[in-house]
Amino acid sequence: MADGAVLLLQAAADTSHAYGEFPLVGARAAVWIAAEVHLMFAAFVLGVPMFAVVTEAIGIFGKDERYDRLSKEFTRLLLVAYSATAIWGAILVFFLATLYPRFWAYLTAVFGPSMWAYAALFFLESFTLYLYYYGWDRWKKGRAKVGHWTLGILLNVWGTIVMFIANSWLTYMMTPPRDITPSTDPTTIKLWHAIANATWMPINVHRLIANVVFGGAIVGAYASYRFLAARTEEERAHYDWMGYVGNFIAMSALIVLPFAGYWLGREIYQYDQSMGITMMGGFMSWLWVIQAFLIAVLFLTGNYYLWIGMGRIPGAERFRPYTKWLLIILVLGAIVWGTPHTMIADSKELAAMGGSHHPFLGALGVMSAKNTAVNLMILTTFLSFLLYRRANTRPVVPWARTGTMIQGGMFAIAAGIVLFYGIRGYFVEAIVRIGFSVYQVLAVLACILCVTVIDLLMARGAQSLGAIRWGKMPPRSQYALFILAVTFTWLMGLMGFARSGIRQYWHVWQVMQDTSRYAATPALGYASKMISLCVLIFLCLVAFVFWLGGLAEKSTFVASGGREAGAQHVGH
Amino acid sequence: MWATNLKVVGVVLGTLALYTLIANKIPQVQSEVPQALTLGANVTPEQLVSAGEKVFTGIGGCTTCHGLGTRAPNLLTDERGTGPIGVRCAKREPGKSCKQYLFESLDNPTAYVVPGYQPIMPVMTKQLSPEQVWAVIAFLEAQGGTVDVTGDDIAKSKPVAGGTTSAAGSGGGSFAGGSTDPKAIIQAAGCLACHKLDGQGQVIAPDLTHVGSRRTAESIRKKILDPTSSIAKGYEKLAGIMPKTFGTMLNAAQLEALVQYLAAHK
Repeated sequence: MADGAVLLLQAAADTSHAYGEFPLVGARAAVWIAAEVHLMFAAFVLGVPMFAVVTEAIGIFGKDERYDRLSKEFTRLLLVAYSATAIWGAILVFFLATLYPRFWAYLTAVFGPSMWAYAALFFLESFTLYLYYYGWDRWKKGRAKVGHWTLGILLNVWGTIVMFIANSWLTYMMTPPRDITPSTDPTTIKLWHAIANATWMPINVHRLIANVVFGGAIVGAYASYRFLAARTEEERAHYDWMGYVGNFIAMSALIVLPFAGYWLGREIYQYDQSMGITMMGGFMSWLWVIQAFLIAVLFLTGNYYLWIGMGRIPGAERFRPYTKWLLIILVLGAIVWGTPHTMIADSKELAAMGGSHHPFLGALGVMSAKNTAVNLMILTTFLSFLLYRRANTRPVVPWARTGTMIQGGMFAIAAGIVLFYGIRGYFVEAIVRIGFSVYQVLAVLACILCVTVIDLLMARGAQSLGAIRWGKMPPRSQYALFILAVTFTWLMGLMGFARSGIRQYWHVWQVMQDTSRYAATPALGYASKMISLCVLIFLCLVAFVFWLGGLAEKSTFVASGGREAGAQHVGH
Repeated sequence: MWATNLKVVGVVLGTLALYTLIANKIPQVQSEVPQALTLGANVTPEQLVSAGEKVFTGIGGCTTCHGLGTRAPNLLTDERGTGPIGVRCAKREPGKSCKQYLFESLDNPTAYVVPGYQPIMPVMTKQLSPEQVWAVIAFLEAQGGTVDVTGDDIAKSKPVAGGTTSAAGSGGGSFAGGSTDPKAIIQAAGCLACHKLDGQGQVIAPDLTHVGSRRTAESIRKKILDPTSSIAKGYEKLAGIMPKTFGTMLNAAQLEALVQYLAAHK
C-alpha cells in the first residue's frame, strides 16, 4: 500500500480522543516545556552523582578531606533537585496522557513493563540517595566509609539504568526497528526488540557524557554565585576551587562529547539516509550553524576562564605569551566550524549563489574542514589545560626536557594527522572521507592520553613555584562560568529539538503519524524562544532549589570549619 | 548583594536573549506536513511551475544533490557552460523533447547519467505522485526554456485499471519496459545506487561484482525476494534498507534473468 494511502487511513482512524488541547500555549508547547525542564533536572541529578562519587573516591583514597566535603556539598544539591525531577516527570506523563492519549496508549502498549521497572528503579534510586546523603557523617571512617562510597556507586547504577530505559522510549520514536510498520499491532512487539533499536546505545553514551558536562557546568555556576556572595577570603577560596573543579569536569567531558555525537549521527544516517539528510542538509541545516556558534562560545569561554585563572598561579606568566596563539586557533576553528554547506534555499537564492553552497566559503563547509577545525580546537583546549596544570610547578625528573619534547612532538603529530586527513578528504569519495574522521579522532584521543600520562609522571616530586592563590579571581571569571552554564543548558535544549525534530510529522518515524494541528515542525526562531523559556524556568527553579538547600543547612565549607580550609586550597 | 544578583540575572538574560536573537535572524524554515497536490485538467503553466518549485525545494529533496556541483548536475544554474536545465534538456538526447527527456530522467534516472556523476538518483515516479512529477518537470522547463506540460500529461500518467500508469509503465511485468535484459533491470531498479557492479555504482551495500562466488543462484533469488533473509557480514546496520518490493515489481522471466546474470558474476 502506498505511504499516502496508509497516512490517509491512519488520519481517518483518528478519533476525537487522539489529541487534547491545552489553554493559552497549546498542547505541543505544554508537552515541550514539561519534557524539556524534566530532562534538564534529570540530567542534573544523573550528572552530579557521577562526579560526587568520583570526588568522594579522591577524598578516600587520596586522603584529602576537602574532596569529601565537596562531594557532600554536591550531593546536598541533589536532594531537592530529585523532587523537582519527579514533579516535572509526573507533569509530563499527565500531559502526554491527556493531550496525546492515542500516542501515549501506543507507547504504553509497547513499553508497559519497562515503565513499571522505571518506577521501581526511581524508587530505589531515591532511597539510595537519602541513605547516601544522610549516612554521610555516620559512615565516615574505615570500612563504613568504603561502604558509603559503594552506596554512591549504586546510586549511579540505578540512575544510569533509569536513563537507559527512558532513552529506549524516545529512540524508538526516532528509529523503530524496520520490521515494525503502521499496521503492526503494538501489543505484539517484543519489548527488547523495541528497546534495542538503532539509536538506543549511541543516545545512552551521548547522554551519559553530556550529563557529566551539564552537572559540572551547573555546579560551576553554583560555586561562582557562592564565590560572588562570599563574605570571607576563605569562603571565596573554597568556592573558587569548587568552580574550577566543576568547570574542569564539564570541559573534560565536553572534549569527548563530539565523538559520541558523531557516532549517533552516523547511526541515524545508516538507519535512514533521508532522516540524516533532513538533519544535516535539510530544513535543519541552519541549526548546525547555531550549534557551531554555541560550541565556539563554550570553547572560548572555557579557555578564557582558564587563562584568567592562570593569573592566580605563580609561574603562569611563563605561558602567557602562548595564549594569543591559542585564541587565534580557537577563533579560526570556530569560524570554519560555523561555515554552512548545504542548506534549504529557494531558487533565487540558489541561483544567486551558483549552487546550494557558496563558491568559495562552501569549501570550508564540508565535513573534512569541520572535523579538522573541531579536532584542532579540542587539542588547543587540552593544551590550555596542560599549561594551567603545569603553571606553578617545575618538573625535576632527569628526563623532564626530553619528556616535554616528546609531549610537543605528540601534539605536532596529532595536529599533522588531523590536517593531513582533513586535506586528503577533499580528494576522495564521501564513503572514504567518512572513515578519515575516525583517524583524526583517534590521533587526538591518543595524544590526550599519552601526554597526560607523561605529564603525571613528570609531575612527580616537581618543584613548586608557589601555592595557587585560590579566591584571587576577578569577578568576570565567575560570570564566564555563568555563561558556560547557560550555554550548556541552551545547547542541550537545541540538540533535543534537533533529535526530536528530525521525526518531523511522525510520533513514531514512519509508523505513527502526528495528525494533530501541531504536526508541522516549527522553525528555529520559534524553537529558540521555547528553548530560552525552558532554560529560564529551569534556572529559576534550580536557583530556588539551591536557596532552599542553603536554608536547610549551611555550606559544608562553613560547617567543617573555615579556619583550616583556606590554607589547604593549594593544589589543583 | 543586590548588585551582584542583578549582574547575574543580567548575564543570564543577556546570554539567552543573544542566542534567541541569532536564531530568529537566520532564515526561518518550518517543516510542513506534506499535502496532497491536486492539479485539474485546466491547470496553467504558472500553477504548475509554482507547485513544481515547492516540490523541488521541499518534499522532492532535489536540492540535496542538485546544485552542489559534486553529487549531481546543476539544474537551476549553469552546468559546464550548457546553461540551466530548461536550456539544455531538449538537446540532451536526439529525438527526445525536453518534456520526454525530463520525464524519463525522473522515471528511469540511470538511463541518462551525465558523465562524471554516479547513478545515485532514486526513481522519483515511485516517490512522487503524477501531479508532483509533472509539476517538477514544468518547473525545470521554466529554467530557461518553455513550459509545455499540460493537465493532459498528468491525466495520462495517473493509474488506470490494472494498476499501471500509461506513461511511467511501472508495476509487475512492465518493469523496465518488460525487458529481460539484466542490465536494463539493474538500471531500472536502481541497484547501483547502493551496490557496485563491474566498476559502476556505489559501495554503500555489498559489491556485486563477484557475488556469484559468494552466493548460489537460489541464495541470490531469495535475497532479492526477501532482502532481510540474510545479511552480508559487515552490513548488519544496513539491514532493512533494500526495498522488499522486487518480488511484485519483476515478472518471473525478469527475476530469473537477473538471478542468473548475478550468479554468473564469479
